[in-house]
Amino acid sequence: MHKEKFAKACAVALVAVLAGCEKASYEPAQQSGANPPLPKAQSFFVPPMNVPEGTGWAEDEKPAVADGLQIEKIASGLMHPRQLLTLPSGDVLVVEANGPGAEPVTSPKQMIAGIVKNRSGKGGKGGNRITLLRKTAGQEGEWEKHVFIENLHSPFGVQLVGDTLYVANTDSIVKYRYTPGETRMSDPGVAFTDLPGTINHHWTKALLASPDGTRLYVGVGSNSNITENGLDNEYRRANVLEVDAQTGASRIYASGIRNPTGLGWEPATGRLWAIANERDEIGADLVPDYLTSVQEGGFYGWPYSYYGQHVDTRVQPQRPDLVAKAIRPDYALGSHVAPLGLWFYRGRSLPEKYHGGAFVSEHGSWDRSPLSGYDVVYVRFKDGKPEGAPEPVVTGFASADQKTLKGAPVGLVEDAEGALLIADDVGNTVWRVSARDAGAPASR
Amino acid sequence: MLTESVQTRSRLAYALFALLNPIPFGFFVAALIFDVVYASSANVLWVKSAAWLNAIGLVFAIIPRLINLVHVWIPASRSARVEKLDFWLNLLAIAAAVVNAFVHSRDAYGVVPESVWLSAVTVALISIGFIISAWHHAALPGGRHA
Repeated sequence: MHKEKFAKACAVALVAVLAGCEKASYEPAQQSGANPPLPKAQSFFVPPMNVPEGTGWAEDEKPAVADGLQIEKIASGLMHPRQLLTLPSGDVLVVEANGPGAEPVTSPKQMIAGIVKNRSGKGGKGGNRITLLRKTAGQEGEWEKHVFIENLHSPFGVQLVGDTLYVANTDSIVKYRYTPGETRMSDPGVAFTDLPGTINHHWTKALLASPDGTRLYVGVGSNSNITENGLDNEYRRANVLEVDAQTGASRIYASGIRNPTGLGWEPATGRLWAIANERDEIGADLVPDYLTSVQEGGFYGWPYSYYGQHVDTRVQPQRPDLVAKAIRPDYALGSHVAPLGLWFYRGRSLPEKYHGGAFVSEHGSWDRSPLSGYDVVYVRFKDGKPEGAPEPVVTGFASADQKTLKGAPVGLVEDAEGALLIADDVGNTVWRVSARDAGAPASR
Repeated sequence: MLTESVQTRSRLAYALFALLNPIPFGFFVAALIFDVVYASSANVLWVKSAAWLNAIGLVFAIIPRLINLVHVWIPASRSARVEKLDFWLNLLAIAAAVVNAFVHSRDAYGVVPESVWLSAVTVALISIGFIISAWHHAALPGGRHA
């Protein structure tokens, strides 16, 4: 046991020493917007790296919020909460999961990476379940917790269409008949359709129903950083699938999106938007993760190119024909911020500046020093297009010295009162951000 | 490992050295072949295997290299020049293989061409060490076997 700890400490120290040399030169905000500056791609002996140690939140400790807002904890002690869904009754579903751990260790690097990841708290065990949160009428503090569905298989996306609840496990969509008011799912559920389920290097399956409920859109991540597991394993990967809600038949709606972790309908135009995690290990300032509208039949570059036609030489054979077709994403969020949650705000109860735009939760990445992300930002939209730099709304998930990680934001949703809920998978908490009561003391 | 000073060296350490010393060389030769195949085929099976071969070769090199370090330098006066040369060649080879391990941590075709060059350098340095030791050894009066 001691030996194992010593070996781990040595591995972490060695990596820290070797990775110490490369630092990022852009702030995320400087690399945001429609035209982010892109430095030249680099190759490394050890890529830039900074992995704060996961500690969780101390009692009464909470993230900081922007002026005019307040934050409270509505659930704690969860098992790696990832996604949220508000039901018509106001109850909130919390999907608790982590990767299925099915990716085989096929290179020495994966062994080291696993050790580093576990240290950060991002390797925490997922509950493979959905918990229902219900606000107890007239009571302050944490909401009631009810275990709603158990024994899922690394679930992520969840959507309710009429009385049908769709849950996207890592390898399939399961559907349940939902009875309003129940605190435990009474329906055993039936398999609805398969999803790409091998390796699951990127395991999350984001899920979004069309407004009329006839289609489901699924964000499917790539099976590698940049094809190192072989192109064969990228079949129907790195894309947005469109599933027919009647038949379960699916087709590729848009491709070349490395890891589309969140999907949403832009309210002004009704168009489909996605957040995506771009590739690693070609620089602390490459490649900016992005927020983009998703065009039907569009190809967004992965793996052959990034941000339009910037060719990635790590991919063989190269495909100039596909690179020529690659669409440049609409809006950069900053390099390695790792967006994992997208929510277009439709409510009215938050201050007016937050109306009509999108909140994006940034989970943070191992592949950057200094850290970037580890916050929830707001992206203003005007006429259906993002505008200006992302504005930090909820911060303080990583400590100021960047050595410890208290939490990390993932799923976003608004509750029945229009407050923003945040699933925090390192802090195992759900946070609720609302407009500050007039006269209440500032929460920072 | 030459005959002149065998008496003052531990037989056990010498036997262990003779047993383990060829192993890393075999791994590094295999890694070189795999790196060349990957560079020309771009099939990731080969580069992942090469990464393991190089890493395992390094692990097997630890004990024989430490024994050799003691044998050659403590005291340095008893070692022939060719033994010292062999030591330095192997040290450089290991250094190249360590760098190569990091190169092999890159993804997909990002390892090429450094992987091929570093594997070739590692194999060449160890090969030269073997050849000059054998050359010197064969020339010793009456002693073709240690």
